[in-house]
Amino acid sequence: MLKNRLIHFITVAVVFLLSCTGAEKHSGFKVALLSPGPISDAGWNASAWEGLQRIKSELNAHVSQVETRVPAEFEASFREYGRMGYDLVFGHGFEFQDAAATVAQDFPETVFITTSGNTVRKNVAPMVFQLEQATYLAGALAALMSKTGRIGGVGGIKIPPVQSTFAAFEAGARAVRPDIKVSFVYIGNWENVGAARQAALALIDQGCDLLIHNADAAAAGVFQAAAERNIYVFGTNKDQNTIEPEHVLASCVSDIPGAFVTMAKIVRDKKFAAKIYRLGMRDGIVSLVINPRLADRIPASARERLVSLEQRILSGALNVPGLP
Amino acid sequence: MIDFRKALLRAAPALGRGALSFVVALALVALLTTWAGYDAGVLFHTLFAGAAGDGYRISESLLRSIPLVFTGLAVVVSFRAGLWNIGADGQFLAGAMAGTFVALHWNGMAQVLMLPAMFVAAWVAGAFWGWIAVWIRVRREVNEVITTIMLNLIAVQILAWLVHGPLQEQAGAYPQSDAVPAAARLPVLFAGLRLHAGAIIAVVAALLLWLLLFRFAIGLRLRAVGHNPRAARFARVALERYRILAMLLAGALAATGGIVEVSGVTGRLYENLSPGYGFTAIAVALIARLHPIGVLPAAVLFGALDTAARALERDLGVSPVFADIVQAQVILIIILLETPAIRTRLQRALAGVQARMPFRGGEHA
Repeated sequence: MLKNRLIHFITVAVVFLLSCTGAEKHSGFKVALLSPGPISDAGWNASAWEGLQRIKSELNAHVSQVETRVPAEFEASFREYGRMGYDLVFGHGFEFQDAAATVAQDFPETVFITTSGNTVRKNVAPMVFQLEQATYLAGALAALMSKTGRIGGVGGIKIPPVQSTFAAFEAGARAVRPDIKVSFVYIGNWENVGAARQAALALIDQGCDLLIHNADAAAAGVFQAAAERNIYVFGTNKDQNTIEPEHVLASCVSDIPGAFVTMAKIVRDKKFAAKIYRLGMRDGIVSLVINPRLADRIPASARERLVSLEQRILSGALNVPGLP
Repeated sequence: MIDFRKALLRAAPALGRGALSFVVALALVALLTTWAGYDAGVLFHTLFAGAAGDGYRISESLLRSIPLVFTGLAVVVSFRAGLWNIGADGQFLAGAMAGTFVALHWNGMAQVLMLPAMFVAAWVAGAFWGWIAVWIRVRREVNEVITTIMLNLIAVQILAWLVHGPLQEQAGAYPQSDAVPAAARLPVLFAGLRLHAGAIIAVVAALLLWLLLFRFAIGLRLRAVGHNPRAARFARVALERYRILAMLLAGALAATGGIVEVSGVTGRLYENLSPGYGFTAIAVALIARLHPIGVLPAAVLFGALDTAARALERDLGVSPVFADIVQAQVILIIILLETPAIRTRLQRALAGVQARMPFRGGEHA
């Protein structure tokens, strides 16, 4: 009995193998995404996935995605998409640079774009977000709103991309109020909500009455502290205005899905150039989003000041310091 | 002299069973996928083409299995000595860190010196990482399951500190080390493919470990310590000494995997260097039934399943979670079919099939 069943199993398996047909060919614009983590993370990877879906619907492109969990997979997945004739492949993170540069030589018809990074080749470019433009405006707004003349920020790990957003925040504050006191604290990680809360409370105890953060998930602690002591804070990276609706005055937002669509359009229209794509307010990718519930708490004079600074950034008259 | 033909014949039933369980696993996968609404034929084509469709993909599957061979061997040697080493991951990272440090610090060295120096540094670091756990076990009777898991976490944190601090790239932009010099890279085996010399090192390591465990007295005693410590002690085997030896070996083996991954694939150090090879390695070692040579096909199976899973995502848009399920299912069924009761029945059935075949290649006994 058992052996008959075994033979049957084997036959079925062999038939499966023999009955296999070649994969069908696709036509049109083809875009792929390598995400470093699960697209269900409601954060970094989810925003890339959203961008890919928008490319699919807005540009009517064929899209594909893989989750690359191991460094060895970066190059392998880039190469597979190159072999399949994809027009554009995104690697969502700085860690994809080396693999993109290596594979790109063999697939001159495919454009490889990494989210952040600094490696540029004939068909490789990073896109970086000029979030500093938004934190500059946030700094100006903070200085205009502060009663104590002291503002501050809580950072995750002290790395250049975080430091530059804080440098711009400080520059924005000084531009409207040269005597403003600005202090920053780094908690040394991206997760410790308790440490971020303590750091924020310490800054508030020192007299800071407006805070910014760039601490990823740990920022929840900054929002808690702001609610406890009834001060205003700024969100960063995405719209966080609803997290503490009575305390988050505004958010410095990078529209990552929008950036994916922007880059895909550039590649589709054959306008790709080998350079670092710096996406900012002029591209509509970076913005300071005021919390609509708190908008009326901002004095008209401060609002005017903000609008004029924004205009100067958009026109190119004002170069925000610390930009990548 | 070792009679390889005889060894092969002896291994034939094990290989036959392995192949059979694989086929059964695939048949069940077919059921699941059809139920989930996928065309099983297309799915299988993608699975096989993705893992072994051409030279490049075979090379990739083998490439993916290399770190699993080293960590798998590390698990084999420690389990054989009766030590539940859950720390191959930490030992892997220790090797990667130490080897990369050497490569970046003495970046002017010639390749003939560079690679050996990196490997020695990796061995020392990995053996040290293994030694900490076994030392605490031998001296303080602290269960090595706990210490090795803790040491994994410590290694991960040290790696994070290194790439954000002392070993961070000169440009200072991203949490990664600078690229190691060309002299520190393992050569590729075939032009145009990524499969590198680490594959050969992996095979050699498996053979050496097999020799040590099954052809030398030292290996016999090591296995005795694991198999029956009381009897071993009665036979005047110094238990502690062999436990320490096993963990030093395990650490060095896993560490070799770490430095081979940096030297052969990534060229740099960064945080997510290991997705948990040390844990997958336990499954690899168990499927190989703690046999060093068995680790090779077991690791290749896992490597191939990984490349196949990516192909499912890429070509069919299958969710990575579903790809994981397919992968886990294959592993689970293979383990299930290896349980003694089922194995005996299978063996009897197989013997029946073989008896009816005109070509009696299965005569082994």
